Amino acid sequence: MGGVLILGGGTGGTLLANMLARRGIEITVVSESPEHLFQPALLYIALAGAGADIVRDERALLAKRVRFARERIVRVNLAAHRAEAASGARFDYDSLVVATGARAEPAQIPGLAEIAERYGNYHSGITAAQKLWKALDSFRGGTVAVGQASPICVCPPSPVEGVLLIDKLLRRRWLRSKSRLIFFTPFPRTYPAEPINEIVEPLLKARGIEVKTFFDVDRVEPASRTIFSIEGERIDCDLPIIVPPVCGADVAYEPDGALNADRFIAVDKKTLRIKDTDSAYAIGDATDLPTSKAGAGAHLQAKTVFRELMGEPAEFNGRTHCAFDLGNGTGTFVISSYSAPAVRYPPTRIKRLMKMLMGRVYWLSLSGLFETIFNWYFSWTAPERLAARWPRFWRRANR
Amino acid sequence: MDAGATRRRVVDARDKSCPGPITDLALAYRRSKIGDVIELWATDPGVRADVRAWAAKTGNELVSLEDKSGAIVSVLRILRR
Ligand SMILES: Cc1cc2nc3c(=O)[nH]c(=O)nc-3n(C[C@H](O)[C@H](O)[C@H](O)COP(=O)(O)OP(=O)(O)OC[C@H]3O[C@@H](n4cnc5c(N)ncnc54)[C@H](O)[C@@H]3O)c2cc1C
Repeated sequence: MGGVLILGGGTGGTLLANMLARRGIEITVVSESPEHLFQPALLYIALAGAGADIVRDERALLAKRVRFARERIVRVNLAAHRAEAASGARFDYDSLVVATGARAEPAQIPGLAEIAERYGNYHSGITAAQKLWKALDSFRGGTVAVGQASPICVCPPSPVEGVLLIDKLLRRRWLRSKSRLIFFTPFPRTYPAEPINEIVEPLLKARGIEVKTFFDVDRVEPASRTIFSIEGERIDCDLPIIVPPVCGADVAYEPDGALNADRFIAVDKKTLRIKDTDSAYAIGDATDLPTSKAGAGAHLQAKTVFRELMGEPAEFNGRTHCAFDLGNGTGTFVISSYSAPAVRYPPTRIKRLMKMLMGRVYWLSLSGLFETIFNWYFSWTAPERLAARWPRFWRRANR
Repeated sequence: MDAGATRRRVVDARDKSCPGPITDLALAYRRSKIGDVIELWATDPGVRADVRAWAAKTGNELVSLEDKSGAIVSVLRILRR
């Protein structure tokens, strides 16, 4: 067997497989799970009690001519062009695309696995999200602490979105005056990119949310629900809502220089080629790319690799496009690229609505049939273009 | 290298913005021991204010902050964690 082998049937892997299938290329997708989860909706299951209809059968999302194998890959030999599954199944390839995503690993932080087990969170699947909704449901006042445990997390806006949605929930339940809401972050400010921080920081202030910056979680004491930072501070709370650290899939690579310390795959930031290989690529959350881990990135990177595999010139420009629900009926997007810092994109109701609509559009978008529309949308919202359209909102974080 | 010895770690965060160099610094801090030295290379100009604030807040020493071959190089010594 040869052809293109795609590891991981998530956002990036599924879209790429369908785009290649239409060009008549022989493709095999190997994925651990028979199901495909729309991860952004976890936020609303956990913090707004939304329904859990956010899963589809992966086979049904793939074009018929794509071969699908439900296997957990454990080893990849980049020199021999071969991937091996836990079952012993082997997959040979001409070209490889790794799209195995990122996984939450609470056990990296002492005490965090127990907190995740008890209170759930909104980054580890449906069960954990439902558990958090239950914990919020029985909350009758006290201190809630929300934040990310590590500087790297999937969907960088999601910790701030979380605290804003919890504030909204507590107000709706007349519990806000009985509660203290603390947001902690390892970064120097509420949101790491200054232009977005200028939108977000006043919002948290206006809602009486306390912010602890430079708070990098060292360990958690589950019995007392105390969070300690490496910097030597502590937060005591009644309800800890902690976004766990993430790392790459548990796959061994040969040569092992392909992985960094958190098991993310080292790729060339423009070609997305795995370091020191000629026909192996990685896309999406699985990579060590210096951009946000988010679905839009996985989508654009899938497109770059698609062009490269078709022999067309293509480069990934580091584009991000992260939807940001501000919890007040409006939303914005964090838009940047390797060459353009994040734009201060004014929040509107339409932008929040677009985030909500994505839940529907997502499944259709995976078919790869709507790329003309996406091309137009992404170029219309290019950071340089937005900057030219709203010059007074365009600021470089140059302090 | 002796696991107990202090180390100098070079962190290359050039061409990174959002969340950017401070992410790499925080990750390096997480893996450091007292006495270690972290040399952070960045191109995002925001890094100047960020490393100063980081050193002040965490009680670690900003040994130097200078421009070198088109990059901003901060040298930090870990005194506390
Ligand atoms: C709460 C939350 C909110 C979010 N909000 C947004 C948003 O608003 N906008 C946005 O753009 N993005 C958002 N995201 C991020 C987005 O969902 C992910 O970035 C995106 O799904 C990444 O796509 P991917 O293809 O890299 O990986 P994934 O979609 O995670 O797919 C990885 C696949 O690999 C498979 N796999 C893993 N290991 C193995 C193995 N060993 N063998 C075989 N298969 C394996 C998995 O089963 C899975 O199918 C959010 C995420 C979360 C958690």
